[in-house]
Amino acid sequence: MLPSFDVLGFLVSWGTFLGIYAILAVSLNLEVGLTGMANFGKVAFYGIGAYLAASLSVYAVLAVYHVAAAPYTTEGIIALGKYGGASPALDLGIFAASLVLGFIIAGCVGYLLTYPTLRVGPAFLGITLLAFGELLRIFLLNYQPLGASKGLSGIPHPFLWIPDPVLRERLYVLVVLGFLAVTLWFAERITNSPFGRVLKAVRDDEVAALCMGKHVPRVKATVLFIGSGMAGVAGVLLAFYMSSVNPNMFVPAVTFNIWAMVILGGMGNNKGAVVGAAIITFVDRILTFITPNLGITIITPDYVRWMIVGILIVLVLMFMPGGLVPEKPIKTPAWEAVESLEKESKEGGSGGDEA
Amino acid sequence: MVNMDAYQVLTAVHIALIYAVLAVPLTLSYKTTKIINFVHINFITYGAYAAVLLYTFLGIDNVFVAIAAAFVIGGAMSVIDNVTVFEPLSRRGANVVILMIASMGLWIFYKYLMYSVLDVLSRVAKANLVSVLLRFETLPRVVVNGMPITSAFLTAAITAAVLALMLYFILEKTAVGKAIRAIADNPTLAEISGIPRGRVVNVMWFMAGGMAAVGGVLWAIFAIATPEVGDTLILQVFAIAVIGGLTSLSRTALGAFIIAFAENLGMAFLNQVFGVPTSFKPFITFSTLLIVIIAFPPLGAGGGLPYRFLRKRR
Repeated sequence: MLPSFDVLGFLVSWGTFLGIYAILAVSLNLEVGLTGMANFGKVAFYGIGAYLAASLSVYAVLAVYHVAAAPYTTEGIIALGKYGGASPALDLGIFAASLVLGFIIAGCVGYLLTYPTLRVGPAFLGITLLAFGELLRIFLLNYQPLGASKGLSGIPHPFLWIPDPVLRERLYVLVVLGFLAVTLWFAERITNSPFGRVLKAVRDDEVAALCMGKHVPRVKATVLFIGSGMAGVAGVLLAFYMSSVNPNMFVPAVTFNIWAMVILGGMGNNKGAVVGAAIITFVDRILTFITPNLGITIITPDYVRWMIVGILIVLVLMFMPGGLVPEKPIKTPAWEAVESLEKESKEGGSGGDEA
Repeated sequence: MVNMDAYQVLTAVHIALIYAVLAVPLTLSYKTTKIINFVHINFITYGAYAAVLLYTFLGIDNVFVAIAAAFVIGGAMSVIDNVTVFEPLSRRGANVVILMIASMGLWIFYKYLMYSVLDVLSRVAKANLVSVLLRFETLPRVVVNGMPITSAFLTAAITAAVLALMLYFILEKTAVGKAIRAIADNPTLAEISGIPRGRVVNVMWFMAGGMAAVGGVLWAIFAIATPEVGDTLILQVFAIAVIGGLTSLSRTALGAFIIAFAENLGMAFLNQVFGVPTSFKPFITFSTLLIVIIAFPPLGAGGGLPYRFLRKRR
């Protein structure tokens, strides 16, 4: 017997995950699709954002209400449950502060990490960032003030003061999708700006970009700042949605999920990243609804899901390198002028390529 | 001062030998093909599980049989990857980043394939295969100067020595080895001068995959075999390969000793003097990696950027 299917509830939960993952995918697309930096440590910045939000909110709530217990103890969690929704101003204030700090701190960590890693090739950047992500997870697993292996829970939802949990979820999905819209707009603006064309130049030929007088390391560091900051914001949104964080939410597999989204959607295209994120999060959400109804299976469905993600990455790279939404030329004023001229005269000859 | 007893030094040497067996093939494969191969992690896990499954299902407790089986499995996996994925991709002109992502996709696939297979096999064998403690006693336990030397240490030492000799002999003395080195230096030139690149690269992949899998067996009989065994070693193995600049096999072996000693003796030192908990061990590895990248850029700069260090790569 199938349980009744709550379509709106499904859409709300899908929308939230879609928003969070699409922000991550768009930020990764800025780094890898536009600039050609293989960031295999995306999860680190995501985790920094999430843990920042978590620790800031639980410690702030406990401090405001003068609770002496630490947030990772049972008393602390009970106190958080008691005081969490008491003051709308506090909840919203913490939410706003976490978002701002999450962007800045994750971004700064990304910026600083470029110092050692930019002197080595793209391959090493990937390895170093991957190692950094694992390192962060190990640190969180062992650092008691952040809850060690149990993590932090009882993070006050920004709309906890609204008594109806369904309404709360719906408001939150709007906030998340709003952030996605802002991120997408911002990423599109970067892509279609002169700076975006510098990024593509760096991606296509670093030495040529250097010879044209572009400061390649600074460009890369800037992109990693922006991309990591966006990932930090996504982490903050995740922490408030899940209301608890623990180190095992930030395993390298998360990074690969985001990579799969970007590759499936098409590298170098922000809309493609959103499409990829939509498809993969949709499948994931459907699976979480279906899996409990399967009963006992021989192979854990989760493993099969991951195998498919892995093979999907390889197959898309081999047979559909452009992804679902392939990259398009940038619409510069000059390009548009050339296009309209071509339309008028119907003459042959290709348009001038800017990048 | 801290007392570093002989036992700790011996353990560090043991770990260094295993690390060398794990990291040298990574350097070899990068040097030849310019692919950062994340499937390397799976070779380690599959190698370890070759030993586990042979023991569980066939009752074979001879470590050298396990090593031979692991070598074949790792080598076969590695050749299959090359033929089905890397070769077509690089023929189409995919860059370093694309190849790296493809290998990452394969890594996830193999990792969860292993989990799925273990799901089925644990049910068949009615045994816990997810964390297995293997202790083969093929070689005797020796006591030198009152120091007990375990069977695992002897196995690691002998295997590492044999592999090192084999690698040296193949790379320096045989035609295939010369071809591999030629491809590493300049693939186009090698092909023009008549070297069958595809076949030679396959031989190289077979050796690299096999060696990594053998390292997995050595690690399994020293520590513990889990489906995550390769993933837990990823930081160390890649750090060591970066110390070797991903170009020099001997520097990679040196890197293995640097990392193993820094991790074990350095950690013991910090633990005794400053009371740093031992769970922070990976931080030592990571800081060693960063120090090497910052302080010795040419070492870490295999394929690095031209605008900082215009030093000729050898």
